[in-house]
Amino acid sequence: MEVFRQIGWLIRKDLALQFRTKDTLALVIVFSVLVVLIFCFAFGPIFPEQMEERGKLAASVLWATFLFAGVITLNRSFDIERANGALHGLRLTGIDASYFYLSKVASIFVFLILLEIIVTPITLQFLDVLAVLPVALQDQLPWLLLKLIGVLAIGTLGFCAVGVIVSGISTHTHGKESLLSVILLPLTFPVIMAGAKCTVSLLTTGGLGGNFWISVLVVYSLVFLASSYLLFEFVVEG
Amino acid sequence: MMMLLHASQITKRFGHRTVLNGLDLDLQPGEVVTIFGPNGAGKTTLIQILSTLIKPTAGTLQIGGIDALAETLRVRPSLGLIVHEPHAYLEFSPYENLQFFGQLYKLDRLEQRIADLLDEVQLTPYAHDPVKIFSRGMIQRFMIAKALIHDPTVLLFDEPFSGLDLAAKQLVLKRIDQERDRGKGIILTTHDTELGYRAGSRFHFLLNGQIETVAEKEDIGLEALSREYEARLKG
Repeated sequence: MEVFRQIGWLIRKDLALQFRTKDTLALVIVFSVLVVLIFCFAFGPIFPEQMEERGKLAASVLWATFLFAGVITLNRSFDIERANGALHGLRLTGIDASYFYLSKVASIFVFLILLEIIVTPITLQFLDVLAVLPVALQDQLPWLLLKLIGVLAIGTLGFCAVGVIVSGISTHTHGKESLLSVILLPLTFPVIMAGAKCTVSLLTTGGLGGNFWISVLVVYSLVFLASSYLLFEFVVEG
Repeated sequence: MMMLLHASQITKRFGHRTVLNGLDLDLQPGEVVTIFGPNGAGKTTLIQILSTLIKPTAGTLQIGGIDALAETLRVRPSLGLIVHEPHAYLEFSPYENLQFFGQLYKLDRLEQRIADLLDEVQLTPYAHDPVKIFSRGMIQRFMIAKALIHDPTVLLFDEPFSGLDLAAKQLVLKRIDQERDRGKGIILTTHDTELGYRAGSRFHFLLNGQIETVAEKEDIGLEALSREYEARLKG
């Protein structure tokens, strides 16, 4: 129980800091909406008629937006730990580095999921996706959106699992922000690819189009979560 | 009596530069070891190694009889550290910081301990203000409270008097005396011979990566210590 309590305090601290300053939240929301708008201007005002093409566009916009917003969130979250040696303060308490890892994954996951809940409907609206949805899917719109958020959540978990360990590594290096992007983007490619495939399938058929891509998404996320949990001590302690 | 801290042949290299070279240091309960050294002598590196935040290139470190390099997580809760950085979250208030770190240290009667410490460092009126709006001296007083929240047995102070006014310096000195009288061990680095002499019970110089034992307090006066220090710096 003590483990869960300590992780809980760490998550509460992270969320309190993220929401108290509000600058990260405001920055990430504004940034995400701007990215969506840029895509809309680039591909609009007349979007592809066919649902499959529209679905591909929507999936690309959603995953690209969340990828970049995720990088900003990771950077800000680890900036807080780096500033004034707060991470050293945590290390001195004797807390297990893996608790710190899990708490960071959880708090960034919560933050990004909130962002996705806000930005996903805006994106679907801007790209006029709902207008061309098959009638059968329009009748099940809440259920479809729920499934979409579910896929985004699994992808976000995978992104956080990879992102937190890469941020931890880049904390000890020069050029932290650029190194994070350079290492993180290739590593999260399987998550983005599988997530985008699942999203396209959901928007066009209402299903996942088989188990392959969702399995890739789940397995990749869990493998990275488990291996990073075990390795994070070496990242923090060097 | 078991030694609180025993460092043997500590060496630290950054690339080709050797900052600490085969350094030995012991700390007994109820002892205040003052280490004098100029800027760049390696005082901060030494404190970071003794606090287990960085690993030495070579050497061994025992804290409370435990191998601190192998069982790092076990020894850390017995250490209290004051360095140049607050090691805290400046967006939080002193109360929130002490509560958060106190929870991680699994402390009992935490509320009372926070209230007592904030009272002692005279931050009670500012307990719920964010630390980021504090002056340098207030942050230093907050750092003292944070270093003591878990009642550590070994205290490591790196330039604890920097940025403090006279009253706050007296507060630090008083607290060092109290902790020493309670059987705690304190290692203090400073380049201020007067305050270092006032606080310490044994004196060392850290020069050229080597530590040199000067004397116990009963064997040397402040003037003689200052003369010795200046001579070593010049020589």
